[in-house]
Amino acid sequence: MTDGTNYEELYQQAPCGYLITDDTWTITAANDTFLTWTGYSSDEVRGKPLPQLMPIGDRLLHATNSVARMQLTGAVSEVSLEIIDAAGNRIAALLTAVRATGTDGSTEIRVIIFNAHERRKYELELVAARRRAEESEARSLRAEAGLQHLALHDSLTGLPNRAGLASILVRELENAPPGMKVAVLFVDLDHFKAVNDSLGHNAGDELLTVVAQRLSSTVRASGTVARLSGDEFVVVEHVSTLSDATALAERLLETVNGSMVIEGLEVVCSASIGIALTDDDRTDVARLLRQADIAMYRAKARGRNTWDVHDPSQADPATNRMRLLGELRHGIKAGQLRVHYQPRMDIATNAINGVEALVRWEHPTRGLLQPADFIDLAEESGLIRALGAWVLDEAVKQGTHWNRGMPEYAPIAVAVNLSTRQLLDPQLVHTVATTLTRHNFDPHLLTLEITETALMENPAAALNVLTTLKVLGVGLAIDDFGTGYASLTYLKNFPIDELKIDQSFVSGLGSNDGDSAIVSSCIQLAHAVGIRAVAEGVETADQRSTLLTLGCDLAQGYHYSRPLTAESITQWITNQTDAPARRTSAATQPSTEDTVDALISDLASAMENHKEAEAPTGRQLTSPEYLDLNVDLKA
Amino acid sequence: MWHRVVPFFEDRFRVVSFDHMGSGRSDLTFYEPEKYSTLDGYVADLLAVCDALDLQDVILVAHSVAAMMAIKAAVASPRSFRRLVLVAPSASYVNDPSDGYVGGFTQEDIVGLLESLDSNYFAWSAALAPVVMRNPAAPELTDELEASFCRTNPDTARNFARVSFLSDIRSDLRDVTVPALILQCSEDLLAPPEVGRYLNGQLAGSTLVELEATGHVPQASAPEETAQVILQYLATDSS
Repeated sequence: MTDGTNYEELYQQAPCGYLITDDTWTITAANDTFLTWTGYSSDEVRGKPLPQLMPIGDRLLHATNSVARMQLTGAVSEVSLEIIDAAGNRIAALLTAVRATGTDGSTEIRVIIFNAHERRKYELELVAARRRAEESEARSLRAEAGLQHLALHDSLTGLPNRAGLASILVRELENAPPGMKVAVLFVDLDHFKAVNDSLGHNAGDELLTVVAQRLSSTVRASGTVARLSGDEFVVVEHVSTLSDATALAERLLETVNGSMVIEGLEVVCSASIGIALTDDDRTDVARLLRQADIAMYRAKARGRNTWDVHDPSQADPATNRMRLLGELRHGIKAGQLRVHYQPRMDIATNAINGVEALVRWEHPTRGLLQPADFIDLAEESGLIRALGAWVLDEAVKQGTHWNRGMPEYAPIAVAVNLSTRQLLDPQLVHTVATTLTRHNFDPHLLTLEITETALMENPAAALNVLTTLKVLGVGLAIDDFGTGYASLTYLKNFPIDELKIDQSFVSGLGSNDGDSAIVSSCIQLAHAVGIRAVAEGVETADQRSTLLTLGCDLAQGYHYSRPLTAESITQWITNQTDAPARRTSAATQPSTEDTVDALISDLASAMENHKEAEAPTGRQLTSPEYLDLNVDLKA
Repeated sequence: MWHRVVPFFEDRFRVVSFDHMGSGRSDLTFYEPEKYSTLDGYVADLLAVCDALDLQDVILVAHSVAAMMAIKAAVASPRSFRRLVLVAPSASYVNDPSDGYVGGFTQEDIVGLLESLDSNYFAWSAALAPVVMRNPAAPELTDELEASFCRTNPDTARNFARVSFLSDIRSDLRDVTVPALILQCSEDLLAPPEVGRYLNGQLAGSTLVELEATGHVPQASAPEETAQVILQYLATDSS
């Protein structure tokens, strides 16, 4: 200490504020710099606790942090805070302090306070930048959530899509309240494609949107409606019993059945619903959906516009189908497919008219399989194209063989079935034409049989294909007539040569008045539009004689012969004791339009009466609702 | 903060101390903003520590906002704890004019506090760093430690301050069955004397002791007094 005055001046005029406090942070002295800077007088600050010069936030920080640090370590350094000046303004500052022993021997705290205006400004900018970054991150998170929504929802209806449904189902399965099960209802619109094809995609979209709204308003708020694809919807709800789920299915059907106006046309829609419930140990999303899907197909098979419930006791058909599909692929390559032939007889003369080619699969372990066992599978998988072309080729080749080899029995016609997918295959006409050319077969001896259902799948396209085939000279038949959903009025529009009356009606001949009436009407109708009537599944002599009385042209069935191999057919033909009498032509003259319409009306009412008289088991009748729909579509 | 008090207990008790998530030397990679946006996240951690170390008959000593966590933990898992020691606790820092509750702070104060969390952001974050005792023998070690603490995420401190000052656990008090010792400091900015008396009235079987120690952190300002009061309380524990 050489010069005390200088030190006093240095203390008072220092470039920072100096404060001395007692060990409770109560100010005992302040230098001029601090007083000038804050505008306080010395008396105003002396005796005042230093934290009282700070805003509340800094006061709290001081109390919880600086005080304790000072007690523990004897120093705090560079604490960022604000000092409230005499005018009430906040001055950003840094506080550094040490504990020391004062001149009087008591503990004092020596405090320096730097103006930290620039630093605080810089800090605030940093924090602001940080907040902006956070906001931008939040925005991109929101954008991401928007994308997520898009990824999980169907843009047409706004409902969850397949991916959205999967995540919802996972959650529902985990959070099912105790005692409740998750019910999954697979809802597939019946014949939606017909609407789309007839009225266009806009109308189809409109219909889907209406259906989506109706389904959504039918389920509880806690339930979910999702759209998987096209006309497939899935409804999820918590239920306590199966009957809750079936009651829901009934409500859904009811709401779907309500008529709607699409692009100015009244349309009546129906759906098939498959129901699956969670059980205690199997709570797998994919399995549940598959089970509901399978049950939905059963509902479709039972005649549509109804529901069916997955039966857990049944083996999973989907797995079986996959295995069967693999075997079928292999079977086609390995030559396990066969074509068998069933004679088609002229009822009046008992002479053979021709044969119907029927595909069989000699399965290595399951024996000889019927088309019913594998054609749907081939159809769905696309294998039908190759399979169908092979059957056609085989049948035409065999037909050529018979007509050349047994001229005394010629002409022997050949009928071959076409599936829905084949009918819509753009290559079909080419395939038929080249097959005929390859074997030099008379086109008039080939009849292609198309089911009523296949025709109705896409009537416009079917009409196109049939007209082209007709130009080739081949004959066309409507197969399984009466079992599909075709409007009878369509019959007049297609270039058909033959109506094949389904065996379910033929089998009731003589024992069931309704069936007799239907068969009779079908035959009359066929003749009225100038085409042949063919009875399928004729099993008894009585049925044959009734058909003869009714004027039916051709018949096939076990009464004559079951389907046989080509060799056996050759044998069968030559074994026929009756000398082959030449057939009279079955051609008939078409009636007037009025007569045809009257007959259509008779047949429709015969079917309707029949439906009312006997609840159909295992067969379906044309539903009057669907007749309405088709009439609407034509309007 | 506890290292001056811990030595008083080590001969008779197994002492377990830990840094709450976001403070001291906790591992910030496990920091989940959502979990730690309420006291429950911290309570879950506290119970997890007890569980992981298989602690039985625990005497839970907690300071300030951690005392709120202790009360919630005692409600959630009463059988885990033998006694609660609540140092400078509060049930809520905000005055409630509707029922006359005095927490020490007005709504306006709280607004100022929340403002401060942003306007003095870096100071709040520094507040959660551990108090480092200078070790004259190895000053470079201390510096290294401090440097690593400065890298902590400042937002955790901000969130913690928010949780601390906005929590109100008054409705939990009636569910506490574990007997508690309440240590009330004098001249505590964060917990005025009314708060200690309020807690004493609400917590069944609680004991209120008013300390000579001033301020909010008696374990720092008066470690011996704090330790002795706790030891006395535990000595009268007949069970």
